[in-house]
Amino acid sequence: MSPEALELELARLHPAAFGWAIACCPGDRAAAEDALQASYLKILDGRARFAGRASFRTWLFAVVRNTAAELRRRAAWRRLLPLAALGDPPDGRPDAATVLARADGTRRLVAALATLPRRQREVLHLVFYQDLTITEAADVAGVSLGTARTHYERGKAALRKLLKEDRK
Amino acid sequence: MTERNDADLRDRFHVLRREDAATAPRFDATLAAARARAAAPARRRARWLAVATVLVAGVALVLLVMRPDRRGRTIGLASVRWNGPTDFLLVLPGDELLRTVPNVGRMRPSILPGLPGAGFTTTDSDRRTP
Repeated sequence: MSPEALELELARLHPAAFGWAIACCPGDRAAAEDALQASYLKILDGRARFAGRASFRTWLFAVVRNTAAELRRRAAWRRLLPLAALGDPPDGRPDAATVLARADGTRRLVAALATLPRRQREVLHLVFYQDLTITEAADVAGVSLGTARTHYERGKAALRKLLKEDRK
Repeated sequence: MTERNDADLRDRFHVLRREDAATAPRFDATLAAARARAAAPARRRARWLAVATVLVAGVALVLLVMRPDRRGRTIGLASVRWNGPTDFLLVLPGDELLRTVPNVGRMRPSILPGLPGAGFTTTDSDRRTP
């Protein structure tokens, strides 16, 4: 893939990739933007190469997911070291602008999702938000199809329960 | 587990998607920020180097302070005796005989005056003669 073609594909998938980055860094929009920028950089300077084994979108989401995990690990290490105050550590809560921009129903959905285990949250996001199949979601999350299916079913049941409790 | 419920969840997620898309940063801006980020790794590296230097210097200082004081300790050289592992080779068999003069078989008459045969002198060679 030429750099121009790569840029075009990234531009086309940018809104979806941003949504996925937010799902990978819940409650921290700045971290999501960081992860997205670092992912684009990896792709454009060739550190992450698209081999064509999956669809471009699935591959991009996997890159974003891995990059977000890398940044999370690095941030955790940085918090242990001196000079940690040089960066603003995320407090895990969504920033005020994001909260205000969200409708009430969406806010409840985001709050419920935040209480789910990471894998369940990821699989639900990929299936319902990104409209991927469970097989594609398994590819992105780096788990087997069976595991993805289990996360999907359990996550769906837990989310429904949380939303129902919230409505009461 | 019904289709209707799944559709409800899907609708909720789609609303979330629309809201995220409305607040998403522009692709050009994200790409420009990514490129700016690539141009400034040296500064980040320098910061990490500074952190590492501070840590290493701290550890070295702590080790230096905790080290037992060697300056106050003196070694009495007079009390030190070192034996080499091959010293035993210097000891020859019969070394004692070579270093001392044996004094056996000679009787001096002055110390035994009353005994019979006083004044008689014998030597080793005499005694060994049958």
